[in-house]
Formats: sequence, structure tokens, C-alpha cells
Amino acid sequence: MARAAHPEVILIFRGTHQVMSAEKILKRGGVPMRLIPVPRRLTSDCGLAIRIFPPDKDRARKVLSRAKLLPRSVHILREGEVYEEEPCW
Amino acid sequence: MPKPKGVAESVAGAIRRAGNPGRSGHALSIRSARDLFVARERLAALFGVRDSSRFVFAENATEALNQAIKGILRPGDHAVTTSLEHNSVMRPLRRMEEGGVSVTVVPAGPGGVVDAGAVAAAIRKNTRLVAVVHASNVTGAIQPVAKIARAARRAGAFTLVDAAQSAGSIPFSLADIPADMLAATGHKALLGPQGTGFLYVREGVPLVPLIEGGTGSRSESDHQPDFFPDALESGTQNSVGIAGLAVSLAWLLRRGVETVRRKEEELLGDLISGMERIPGVTVFGPRDPSRRVSLVSFLVEGMDPGVVGMRLEKTFGILVRAGLHCSPNSHRTLGTFPEGTVRVSPGPFSTRREISGFLAALRKIASARR
Ligand SMILES: Cc1ncc(COP(=O)(O)O)c(C=O)c1O
Repeated sequence: MARAAHPEVILIFRGTHQVMSAEKILKRGGVPMRLIPVPRRLTSDCGLAIRIFPPDKDRARKVLSRAKLLPRSVHILREGEVYEEEPCW
Repeated sequence: MPKPKGVAESVAGAIRRAGNPGRSGHALSIRSARDLFVARERLAALFGVRDSSRFVFAENATEALNQAIKGILRPGDHAVTTSLEHNSVMRPLRRMEEGGVSVTVVPAGPGGVVDAGAVAAAIRKNTRLVAVVHASNVTGAIQPVAKIARAARRAGAFTLVDAAQSAGSIPFSLADIPADMLAATGHKALLGPQGTGFLYVREGVPLVPLIEGGTGSRSESDHQPDFFPDALESGTQNSVGIAGLAVSLAWLLRRGVETVRRKEEELLGDLISGMERIPGVTVFGPRDPSRRVSLVSFLVEGMDPGVVGMRLEKTFGILVRAGLHCSPNSHRTLGTFPEGTVRVSPGPFSTRREISGFLAALRKIASARR
């Protein structure tokens, strides 16, 4: 599949507290990230998600896994606003 | 209880911003969710817990205690408690009795302290819960909760500690006190706004939610999420009050509960020795300030506690609490039922001068009696 103009990775967590904890851990781990509203396409939920960039994926996985805070699902934005779910981290 | 600087401002700021926590992704909602997160992280730091998600917010200690008691007990279970409990423990337990739970109330020994051995001895095969107050709100006496929690754990029962009087006034960690659940209120020694409180639930404690509803998570499901804190936090939270609590918790972490405690022990020492020298005044609870939290229950011979309280306020501008303090059994233990006592509670912002002022006022009231 072709790459999106601005590829990004969306991390979805179970609840708001987990998003906030993950934010703390990613920042501490030096992973550039942003809190964003969960893209509508991904879930009916009304909460928050974390956006990172593809080159930081491995580092994000490492620090989150060390904190036992892996996301519920991970999605990569492909061309045409299509998200592709990554197999579980 | 006066609050640290910044608590009221934080509450006002949260009201002005008007964001709702965890219900959408806009900046105000994020800010509000962050207030909750920060307060939770500070509670975890204050009580030496790594995973802050185990602290669920409640309206007050009463709600937290109800959640703990009604969420753990099932018909056929047995619960052990003490004669020193506040009504917020006793009444939910009595309600559970109607639903097929049996309850043993272990009487406190002389000095208003319950014996850990006596509590352990009351634990049976079907004991599921041991509920005990950390510090009596009537005598201030600190209870051997660590010993009790260890004994309960060995016997396979869960321990609930009512830390309404001790959280923020006695330094302790949830490693020293291996309680399975601990409840406290935000507006006392945690120095936060009314309408805030929390329940700590150790991982693996199978607590059934008292209230189910919207959590802002798993919205597609009809079922309550099973992860913390969402499992026990349904409905819009008091994010405005918790924004204030976050500030008072920061103050406590900066100042150190040890420092607050040292100061209160000094004031208590002056207070107790001064009161004991006033003819006609009886002081209840341990004499040693290190064995009580910062409150002193007393009586003036021949005077109704309510009248003493009223004189202290009307003539001297000193606010105390007179009566049964929602703990009738404690007063039965003390022999002060049903009139109760007068209770004076120095806080972290009280001064030695205020203590001498109180002693002078009490001396006048006591010498004018009859
Ligand atoms: C020992 C004890 N437990 C529970 C409570 C209940 O606290 P709240 O009224 O904040 O729910 C109090 C408050 O007076 C208390 O002193």
C-alpha cells in the first residue's frame, strides 16, 4: 500500500488514565508524541489517543512495554485517510 | 480546616475553564483529565504506591467506605470491625447484615486502642473483610492497623483501613500498612476541598462496583470496564474539587507529612499538658502525642459539651465540634454516651499562640462553671 503524505501512528489505550500515563512515560522516554482526539474512524469512543511518528515506533514500544502500559491497539495512517491496524504490540 | 494557598484559585480556575474530564479530545477536556491524573499521581506518591490507577476518586470517605464494604461482602461472609468505627463504616456493615453477612465488633481496650491480637482472634474461616479505623475521630488514638492488616492477610481476609483522620496527618505508606483497601476524605488533613475523597484498591482485590455508568471508555460496550480507575469511577467526576485537591497534595508532598506531623505533635503536647492542668477538665485518649492524631476530646465537669462549644465560639471565636462525632460506639467505649465530648483539632496552620489562647479561654469557661 502507498504511504500517506504524513505517515503517523495512532496508539489507542483502554481509558483516559492509561493515555495520561502513557504520555508521561513516552515523554520521559524521549519519544515525540501528541495527545489527539481519537479519530472517528477508529472507534466510537469519545476519548483521547496518542499520535507518534513511524521512526519512533520501536522506542515507544520499548518504554511502554517496560511500564506494562502497551496500547489496546495501534493504527498506521495509510494513504487516503485509511488506517491499518498493526498486529498487537 | 484552612487550606494551603492556591487550592481555592485552582478550584476557581477549573470552574472558569469548564472542561469535562475524559469525555472528548478538546483542549479543555484534556486539561481537566490531566487534573485528575495529576491528583492521582500525587496520591500515589504520598502513599508510596507505584500504580496510581489504583486510586479511585470518591465524593468523600463515606462513599469510598461504602464502595469497599458493599463491593467486597457477599451473603454468607463474615466481617470483623471495632467499637471505634465511624458511622460510615458501621452503618454499611449493619446494612450488609440484613443481606446475610455476619459482623463481629471487637471492643477497644482501655486507652481507646483496639488490640491487634483480639482482632486477629475474631477472624473466622468465612471472614472476608476486616474493617478498621486508622485513627479514632473521637479520641485520636492511632490503631495498630499494620499488625491487623498482616494478621488478616495471613488468615486470607481483606483489610479495609479508614484513613479519614490519618491521611495527610500521619506519615505512612501502603507498603508499611499492607491494607487491601484504604479510604480517606479530601477535606480534612489532605487539605483539599469538600466533596473529594478516594479509595485505594490493591491489585487483585475483587471489588464489585457500587455504581455503573459512563466512563468515557469502552463506550461501545454495555458492560462496565474491568480496568482501573474506570471500573469504579462512573459518571462525571468532581474535577473542579479534584483540581483543588491536586494543589493541596502538592503542598503536602513539598512540605512533607513528617514535617506536618512534627509540628502537630508539638502543638498537641502543649495542648494536652495545658488542658490537664485546668481543674474540672477531663482529657480523653492517649497522653502521648505520638500515639494520636491532632485532635483532643474533652469534657468540662458539670457542663454540657454543646454549651462549652458554644461559649468557645461566642465568647472567644474558637470553633470546636461537640457531640457524638458520628461514632456512638466510641463514646459508649469511653463512657461519654449519649452526651459526647468537645473536640478541638489543631491543624498544620495552627500556631502556639492559638493554643495558648484556647487554653486561656478554656480556663475561663471551666472556672466560671456552676
Ligand atoms: C474516622 C472517620 N471516618 C469517616 C469519616 C467520614 O468522612 P466524610 O464525612 O468526609 O465522608 C470521618 C469524618 O468525620 C471520620 O472521622
